[in-house]
Amino acid sequence: MKSARIATALMTIGLALLVASPMAAQLKSPGDAKTGLKLLVQVSNDFKRQITAKNFARIPHEYMEYTEAADALRSAIKDEPADFKAKVETRLKAAVAAYQKVSDMSAKSPDADKLMAEHGKAVTAMNALFDLFPADLRPDPNTPRKGAAKN
Amino acid sequence: MPALLLVLVGCGRRPKPEPKVVDLYIQSDGDLIAFGTDTLTCPTGALVRLTFHHAGRFVSARHNWVLTYPDQLEKLSKEFLDSDGIPAKGDPRIIAATPLCDKGGTVMTEFTAPAPGDYPFLCSTHPEDMRGILHVTK
Repeated sequence: MKSARIATALMTIGLALLVASPMAAQLKSPGDAKTGLKLLVQVSNDFKRQITAKNFARIPHEYMEYTEAADALRSAIKDEPADFKAKVETRLKAAVAAYQKVSDMSAKSPDADKLMAEHGKAVTAMNALFDLFPADLRPDPNTPRKGAAKN
Repeated sequence: MPALLLVLVGCGRRPKPEPKVVDLYIQSDGDLIAFGTDTLTCPTGALVRLTFHHAGRFVSARHNWVLTYPDQLEKLSKEFLDSDGIPAKGDPRIIAATPLCDKGGTVMTEFTAPAPGDYPFLCSTHPEDMRGILHVTK
């Protein structure tokens, strides 16, 4: 009787987990995908930081890192079905293009307010990409990085 | 006779003890801007051989490991942020530092562990995000 109850509880937990993250269960490398998404947010935050600090000369370097983070995500989903990869690629390209625009603007007309506005558009493009992934894989932008300065 | 005296005096001296050698290892958290661990420990006076490995595979951000004093952390961080993040040689606020390291690379530094206490370490190119504490024990 007791073992039946335990089995039922375990099945319920298992079902709840499956319902909570159907996509994560389907992804072949959810950990790598999560890291790829986290890297994109990490570099995006560095863009913002460089704009705020008016370190405009650093922004093209951040763009290069963004393209590298994009490659990390591509690598993480390389074994996924073609239609999913195609959807991701479309939105990923849009996000990369949006960050490239920020980078190009920083070289041509470095204006912190305009760059910040453009960065906001790039974040929107990135969030559209994130919508393709289950919520439990998406990084929380409010979570401080491990070892980050505590203010 | 003087030679005998020298021998006797020499016998009375205690040989200077060799410092204890401690090997520490730390790596980046893959490509993420974080150290894999944020605490390290060693005894005071030890000769510390610290190895830092950049475990990234994709992102070309360079990292290093810099040890400083607790009251210098924020000022040093700000200076790193306002500059290229390359520590100046001979900066007295820096106890030890590895060279900057590209993804996949490994670098080392050696130093004598300072007085007991907690000393902050950081990456000079990501001084607000990559931080930790070296616990120096008695």
